[in-house]
Formats: sequence, C-alpha cells, structure tokens
Amino acid sequence: MRKHTWTKLIMLILAVYFIFPFYWLIIGTTKNVGQLFQKSLLPGVPSHFLENVSGVFTYEKGIFFNWLANSFLYAVLGAFIAIFIACMAGYAFRRYDFYGKKALFIIILGFAMVPVYATTLPLFMLFRDLQLINSRFAVLLPSFVHVFGVYLMVAYWNQVPEELFNAAQIDGANDLLIFFRIGLPNIIPGFITLFLLSFVGIWNNFFLPLVVINSRAKMPLILGITTITDPQGFPVYNLTLTSSFFAILPLLILFIALQRYFKPQVYTGR
Amino acid sequence: MMDEMMNNKMNEMMNKKKLNKKTIASIKAYLFLAPFLLVFSTMVIYPIGLGVKLSLYGQRGARMWYIGLQNFATVFRDSKFWESFRIPLFLLTVQVPLMLFIAVLIAFLYEKTEKRGGKFYRFIYYLPNTIPGIVTGIVWSYIFSDSMSPFRTVIDLLGYSGTKILTRQHLPSILLVIILWAFTGYTAFVIYSSLIAIPKAFSEQAQLDGATFWQIAFRIKLPLLRGVLISLFIFNAIGAIQVFNEPWMLGQLVVLPSNYTPAMYIYNSAFAQGRFTYAAAMGLILALITFLISLYVLRSATKQMLTGESH
Repeated sequence: MRKHTWTKLIMLILAVYFIFPFYWLIIGTTKNVGQLFQKSLLPGVPSHFLENVSGVFTYEKGIFFNWLANSFLYAVLGAFIAIFIACMAGYAFRRYDFYGKKALFIIILGFAMVPVYATTLPLFMLFRDLQLINSRFAVLLPSFVHVFGVYLMVAYWNQVPEELFNAAQIDGANDLLIFFRIGLPNIIPGFITLFLLSFVGIWNNFFLPLVVINSRAKMPLILGITTITDPQGFPVYNLTLTSSFFAILPLLILFIALQRYFKPQVYTGR
Repeated sequence: MMDEMMNNKMNEMMNKKKLNKKTIASIKAYLFLAPFLLVFSTMVIYPIGLGVKLSLYGQRGARMWYIGLQNFATVFRDSKFWESFRIPLFLLTVQVPLMLFIAVLIAFLYEKTEKRGGKFYRFIYYLPNTIPGIVTGIVWSYIFSDSMSPFRTVIDLLGYSGTKILTRQHLPSILLVIILWAFTGYTAFVIYSSLIAIPKAFSEQAQLDGATFWQIAFRIKLPLLRGVLISLFIFNAIGAIQVFNEPWMLGQLVVLPSNYTPAMYIYNSAFAQGRFTYAAAMGLILALITFLISLYVLRSATKQMLTGESH
C-alpha cells in the first residue's frame, strides 16, 4: 500500500503544478487591478468579473470582437483549405505511380522542418512588394501550406485498403468520383485530426501576424491581447488576463470535447 | 522471321502502353498535387530562395547592393548573435534532458495508474500544451511579477523582502519552470503512447522472475523507448534554438536585451533596426545550425543502434 501512496502523492503534486496557472488565471479574471496587487490565492471579493468582461468587450470600441472574428476566420478557413490541399496531395501519392514521385516526396519531407523564421522575413518582403502587408491575405496565404500535413496525410491514406479503390474502379467510376465518394469518407478521422492540428496552430500563431499585420483591427486574438494598454502604454493587467482567458477558452472547449483527435503526433514539437 | 517481327511489334506496342499508363497516372497525380504545389512553391520555396538572395545583399534603408558573403562574415564576428545562443544552450543542456527525464517517470506513472484514475492525470498534465505560448508567457510572467505574485508573500515572510522575483538574473530559471510546465505533460503522453505499444510478453517473463515494476521499467522498457526519446530530443532541441514567444512576453515585464535569444535578435534586427538583409543571413545560419544539430543527433543515435544494441 505504501508504494501506491508515493505514486499518488507525486502525481498530486505534479497535478497542482500543472493546474495552478489555470486556477490563477480564472480567479484573476474576477479581480480588478487593485485586487491583483493583493496577490491572494482566492477569488476576488467582491468579484469584478463582469466589469472585466465588459472592460474587455468595450476596450477600443469593441476591437476584441474584431480580434475574435479574425482568429476564427484565419483558423477555420486556413485549416480547412490547408488540410484539404494536403488531403489531395496525399491522395496523389497513395493512388498513383507518377514521374518524380520519390524525388517529390523527399523534397516535401525535407522542407517539413524548415524553421518559421527562415520563411517569415522573406514573406514579409514578398508581401510588401505585392502590397499585401496588413491585409488578411498575408496571414491566410501562408497558412494554406501545411507541409507536414501532407506527410501525415500520406500515412492516413496508406491505411485505406486498396480493395475499396479497386472495387470502385472496376465499377467504372472516374478518378474524381473515387476521390470524393470513396476516398474522402474513409479519411475523415485523419482529416479531423489534422484539421484540429492546423486550426490550433493557426489560432495560436503569433509570429507571422506580428510581422505582417500593423492595424489592430486585423489582428488575431493572440496578437491583440498583447496590445491592451492604457493611454500611457502600460499593460492593463486585469483586462489582459480576462482577454487571455477568452483567447484560450475555445481551445479548451475543443480539447475537452474532441480529446481523441488530439492524439499527439511526435513530429509536431512547438 | 515473321514471328520475331511480330514479337518485336507486340513488345513495342506494350511498351508504348506502359509509358502511356504512367503518363496518364502522372497527369492525374499532378492535378491532385497542383494546389499544394502552388502554395508550397510560393509560400515556402520562394521565400527561402528570396531569403538566400537577400542575405547576399548589403542594405541601407531602401537601398540594396550585392555584397556576396559579407553578411555571413559579419555574422560570424557578431558577438551579439553568438551571445544570444546562451539561452537556447541553457534550455538544450538543462531543460530538455530534465524534461525528458521527468516525462519518462511520468509516463511510467501513467502506466502504473492506468486503471486507477490515470486518465484524469493524463488529461490535467496535457492541458498546458493546449495553451498558446503567448498566454503561457502572460500568465506565468504575472505569476512571477513582483506586483502580483502569490510567491511574494511567502518570500517576504522568509525574510527576503528585498529580493525581487522577476529579474533578468532569475529569468533562465523562470523560463525553465514555464517551459517545463508547458511541454512535460505532452512529452509524457507521447512516451506513454509508445510505452503501451510494447508487447506485454517483454515484461511478463521478468515479472515471473520477481522483478519490480521500476526494475522492469528501466531495464527492459526504457531501452525500447530509445527511438521516441531521440525524436523528442530533436524536436525539443529545435524548439529551444528557435524560442521566441515566451521570452518575448517576459520581456514585456522585464527589460531584456534585443539579443536575448537568436530568434529575438533576428526579429529586432529586421524590424527594430531595419537590417533586413542582415537578419536574412542570420536566419539562414540559424536554420543551418538547427539542421546540423538534428543531423548530429540522428547520426549518433543510428550509430548507437547499429553498434550497441544487444538483447
């Protein structure tokens, strides 16, 4: 019995470590700045949650909702197109033996690990020349390419048994039909998993918008919340905390609701 | 003779048909590949090429002129660039091994508690990984800030009311706490996924021979996890070298130099100082270093596997 007690104790201590910031954030949303400076570990009394929420919603004439809408636009559109494109590419590798297949696969794999800092700076210059700086396309277009997604899609497609395709071909279906009617339905779990991966990645993407977006109205939520300042330029702690809470709420809901699709893929580090 | 000619003709026709088949397949394949290839070439290949081209140019304001490899020579002599690697090096040598060690322990604890409430802990420990680095940085920087930290009261009680918490000196340790918090649970889960894939037969025999859980864990199972651990090390090493978000957010509350991390130095050189071509050169060098480290780890790991393995 003693062994189990140690295990339980260690796991409990670790659980406190991992949960503490969430707790601190949530009670932080109930405090105004004065209460935050009191450094207590208890929720604010009286609770200023509603004031904080209205403070966030009315900050700069409701720019919070612009940020929220932008994040949804970038993440939903970006992830869907990125994964659909990756899906089509993976299908090509699965179904066809074509010229340059091996070489192309190696090239794609090689570029899957390109650090974002090597591409973002030149992207800035490219967009500047195209006069796309500070446009939503500057955030959307790069998000359409999910190189590692192609690699993962090939793995998913390889799991679809050959017989399904052959049967459809014998029945005389053309390739497009096979892709949409036979292929896609069988790849839905993989599609959803990758969609979530891409969605979260775009939702959380800070560096790209930081570089290409200037006006606050086009910022995604993750970038916007770092710009919440008072007239002197100092961060407003309670509003920043409350907006941070809203920034992570959709992610938490997604994670809790769709846990099984969040099975980690080893290669997606940060 | 007629038979020969007929055979040749038939072979010709069949070869033509084979060629046609692959060509048709190629056309279809590239149609499916087209959208990806389009965005891939414009958003990945082209920028990298542009980055290489930019790095070969000098710059003053809007003017650019070809200077060959001079930027790279300057980077090699730029002490600010190399000093910025202090933090990644710290993370690489302290945070990553520590995190892997703790994650392995946690993974085994997951295995131990698989049926007794383990799922709850796996969920809690994974939660930090779902939070974007920026919010992680915001919340933790506030938790450590001297104006709002709950630790402040404890520290004052212990008699250290003069020592501030969030100082540049303490920052590496603070970063350590933050990054461990963010990624250990995820890492443990990845290890755990590989752990439960190990066939039970491996441990059953040892169990019958009287081995304890932890003996089995470290003597039998851990060596089998080598592949996962190597992959994890590489990806965390790459992350450590490119670390940006967390130090950036901490930099909002503590004054940090522009070259606190390589990525920050590159960003500041480009956008605070306007030295785009110089930043492009640094970016390439950073990418190269990252690539070399991955290669090195992979090679030494493969070497070990080829020479050292013996069950």
